[in-house]
Amino acid sequence: ASEAFLRQQQATPNLRKLVYGTVAGEEAGNYEEEEVGGLFRVSRPHDNKKHWTDAKDCSRFSPDSSHNWDIGEMLKSIRDCFVTGKWEEGQDAA
Amino acid sequence: MASQALTYDGCNFFRQRLVLSTLSGKRVKIKNIRSRDDNPGLRDFEASFIRLLDKVTNGTRIEINQTGTVLFYQPGLLCGGSVEHDCNPQRSIGYYLEALLMLAPFMKTALRATLRGVTNDPTDPSVDLLKSTAIPLMKKFGLEGEGLDIKVVKRGMAPGGGGEVVFTCPVRRTVRPVLFTDPGKIKRIRGVAYSVRVSPQMANRIVDSARSVLNQCLPDIYIHTDHMKGANSGKSPGFGLTLVAETLTGCFLSAEMSSTPQGQGDPVLPEDLGRDCAKLLLEEIYRGGCVDSSNQSLALLFMTLGQQDVSKALLGPLSPYTIEFLRHIRDFFQIMFKMETQKASEDEMKGGDKVLMTCVGVGYSNINKTIK
Repeated sequence: ASEAFLRQQQATPNLRKLVYGTVAGEEAGNYEEEEVGGLFRVSRPHDNKKHWTDAKDCSRFSPDSSHNWDIGEMLKSIRDCFVTGKWEEGQDAA
Repeated sequence: MASQALTYDGCNFFRQRLVLSTLSGKRVKIKNIRSRDDNPGLRDFEASFIRLLDKVTNGTRIEINQTGTVLFYQPGLLCGGSVEHDCNPQRSIGYYLEALLMLAPFMKTALRATLRGVTNDPTDPSVDLLKSTAIPLMKKFGLEGEGLDIKVVKRGMAPGGGGEVVFTCPVRRTVRPVLFTDPGKIKRIRGVAYSVRVSPQMANRIVDSARSVLNQCLPDIYIHTDHMKGANSGKSPGFGLTLVAETLTGCFLSAEMSSTPQGQGDPVLPEDLGRDCAKLLLEEIYRGGCVDSSNQSLALLFMTLGQQDVSKALLGPLSPYTIEFLRHIRDFFQIMFKMETQKASEDEMKGGDKVLMTCVGVGYSNINKTIK
C-alpha cells in the first residue's frame, strides 16, 4: 500500500508540473541574431516558441496517430466502455 | 492603467484570454500578435470575434495599435439580449460559439444570438457537435431551463458560408458544483450525416461506412441524414458527419469530420470520411472520461466558477488547449486544480489513462443579472 501511495505521489506532481510549472521555462525562448555582411541582421526563432504563441487558436485535440483502429486488439481495449462489455460486480444492465 | 493588465504574447489562445478577462473583470493586454509574420497583426476573424464580444457587453474598451500587433482589452458588463452577428468565414461559427457558450449564462438578460457564417469546416468544432455535447454538459451544471438551445437554421459549408445558427441561453445567478466521476457505459451512438449542394446519396454513403465500423461495438446506432436544400444550403457544397456516443450516466463523447472545402486540398470520398470519423469516435472513447476532448475547457470553467464547494470531473488526457486554459484560469481566478492520474487497469478494457480533476469553485455569482 505504501508503494502504491509513493507511486501516486510521483505521478501527481508530474502532471501538476506539466500544467503549472513549465510556464516560466517557456518564456526563456529567445531570438538568435547573427550578422550578415556587417549591415543586415538575420533573426530567426531560437526555438519553436513563436510558432506556439502564434499558432492557430483551436480547441480540437488531434488524435494519437499510433492507434490503428482496423485491428481487433484496439477494439478489444475499449470493449468494456460499452453496455455490451463486461460489467463490474454489483452492477447490472438491468 | 495598462500596467495593471495581465500581459500575454502572441495570438494563440486569443479567445480564452478575452473570455476569462470578461468573466473576471481583469484587463488584458496581448502583445506581439504575429509580429514576425509576413502579414502581421490581428486577422479578420479575430477582429470579428472582438466585435461580437463588443455586441454582448456594455462599456468594453478595446485599443488596438496601428499594425494590430498589440491589443488592450478592458472588459465591460455582459448585457446579452438579442444579438445578430455576421461571423467572418475564415473560421466557422463554432469558433465564436465556443466563447459564447462560456459567457452566455452570466449575461444580464437571456441571450439570443443569431450567428451567420460557416457552420461546418474541418478545423473548428461544428455547431452540430456543440449542440449535441456542450448543451447537455451545461445542463449538468444547473444551467437548464427553457431556451437553452442551438438551432441550425441554414447550413453553410466552408469556404462560402451562408449558414445561420440561433443560440439561446437563459441566465443564471450561480453555477452548481458537480461530481462527474463515473462516465458509465455507452448505451447508444447517434449521429448526423449532412450534405449540402451535393447529391443526397452522399449522406447515405457516409452512414453505411460509419455503421460498418461501429456495429462491431454496439448494435444501437442511429445516424440521421440531413440534406438541406435551396436557400438553406449556403453557398458552398460539402458533406460531413457528426457522431455522439451517449453513456448510461448521461455523458457524451463525440467525433466529427467534414469534407475538405471546395478548392482547398484533395477531395474526400464519403465512404472514407464515414470510416475515418467512426475511428475518431473510437479514439475519443479510448480517451474516455465524462467530458469529451473538445469540451474539457468548458467543463473546467464552470467547475471554477461554481459555488464554494468541491467539484470533481474525470477527464481523458488533457488537450494542449485545455492545459493552456488551466494556466489562464490560474492567472485570472487564482484557482489551481488537483490532478490525479487514474491508470488503466489490466483486467478492465476501458481504454487509456484518465485524469481526475478536483477544484473548489470561486463562488462566482452573476452580478449582471437583474433581480426581479
